[in-house]
Amino acid sequence: MKLLVMLLALVTGATLQALLPAWAWLGGAQPPVLLALVLFYAWTSPRAGMLGCAFAAGLLQDALGQVPLGFSCFCFALAGLWAQRHREDVDEQAYISQIVFGGLAAALVTLLLYALLRHAGAITLSFGGALRKTLGTALLGALLTPVMFRMAIGLERRLGERPALDHGGRL
Amino acid sequence: MRDRTLFGLILAGLILLVILNLPESVSGRVKGFIRDAFAPLQDLVASASRQGQETLKLARGVSSLTAENQRMAGAIAQLRLRQSELERLEEETLKLKHLLDYRSHAPRRLVTCAVLGRDATGWWQTLRLDKGADSGLRAELAVTTPEGLIGRILTTTARTSDVLLLSDPKCKVSALVSRAQAFGIVAGNGVTPQGLPSCRMDFINVDRRHAVQNGDEVVTSGLGGVFPRDLLIGRLDNVKTNESGLYAEADVVVAADLGALEYVFVVADERPGAPTATAAAPAAGAAGP
Repeated sequence: MKLLVMLLALVTGATLQALLPAWAWLGGAQPPVLLALVLFYAWTSPRAGMLGCAFAAGLLQDALGQVPLGFSCFCFALAGLWAQRHREDVDEQAYISQIVFGGLAAALVTLLLYALLRHAGAITLSFGGALRKTLGTALLGALLTPVMFRMAIGLERRLGERPALDHGGRL
Repeated sequence: MRDRTLFGLILAGLILLVILNLPESVSGRVKGFIRDAFAPLQDLVASASRQGQETLKLARGVSSLTAENQRMAGAIAQLRLRQSELERLEEETLKLKHLLDYRSHAPRRLVTCAVLGRDATGWWQTLRLDKGADSGLRAELAVTTPEGLIGRILTTTARTSDVLLLSDPKCKVSALVSRAQAFGIVAGNGVTPQGLPSCRMDFINVDRRHAVQNGDEVVTSGLGGVFPRDLLIGRLDNVKTNESGLYAEADVVVAADLGALEYVFVVADERPGAPTATAAAPAAGAAGP
């Protein structure tokens, strides 16, 4: 059931990501919806679940764009492993953790993808352009990650994968 | 426990290596399968989004009528609402008629496609269309609108096609300024911070560098075999001579609005017996080599 909920979240996230426009004034940054979901599962699932989510999200992102198959899987898996490594150090339910990790992970993934795509000769974007895009994606990631966390929690709750709010209002 | 973690990571690494090293045909099929599986959902969401925009437009009209409703009888308000709906429908009918006229008078067979979405990563300037190989589309076909050329098909699956837009740096078009008979290459330059598509044209005729001027119409030259000739691309702006002083270069203001595309046409092939003429309006006086 947990797997089905994850798949549903990923399919919805991928559709949303494909629908949302790139922000030209942020260097063509695309809202990192799928990455935010990877972060969510990095903090709420065991390592195998997170890696499965990262691979599935990567495959979806690569298939829905022009990125060679596997590039996003690699970047998402690295971001997920990095987030999971700090799982014990942060309060995953705090907005500030989600904002900081969302922004940093988005920046990391954008820079990594830039390096991979540039190395493969798939894009001709200058480093300055990539830096602007990285900062833009970091900003969008910071803003979007808490929202995606709430949406994913809401979805899990609706589908019975998570108990209702406790008295302290914790998620 | 530690062994299990290590084993898991090695397994994940191996899977990743396999994915990264899949033969192009296999990875293309995998991508095609996922894209085709997503196409109905994307179509649904894109249609819902279009409907939502139309409803929003209507709602704006309704909200302006609300103030009037306070002063006028409900019956009049209903009539106005009906009227605004009819106006919207009329506008839509005119738009569709315009598209239909364009399609039926074009010298080439055009395949009408709806836009499903844009590149989900933001690294490329691409569009996804709702038709693919099943509708006779293939890579390298030109894609246009009544206003002008927008790009070419990059890849197709059975039910979708990805279009590389003119503004993408990887999109290069052999072009011609028909008035001055000056040939050149139009290449994408990305998108400006304002979201406008940016293209530039580098001219290849040394003797024509002073002949071109701002506002000149740029059309496809037909050279190179990808784009049919005489499709309108846009107009020249900021014409200047390059650093060597030998060649001219200019910005190109793209005729089609690449940011607001709902329906586009793929130029499939020539109609039998049709004269070669301007397919994209209105590249008057265009002439190729």
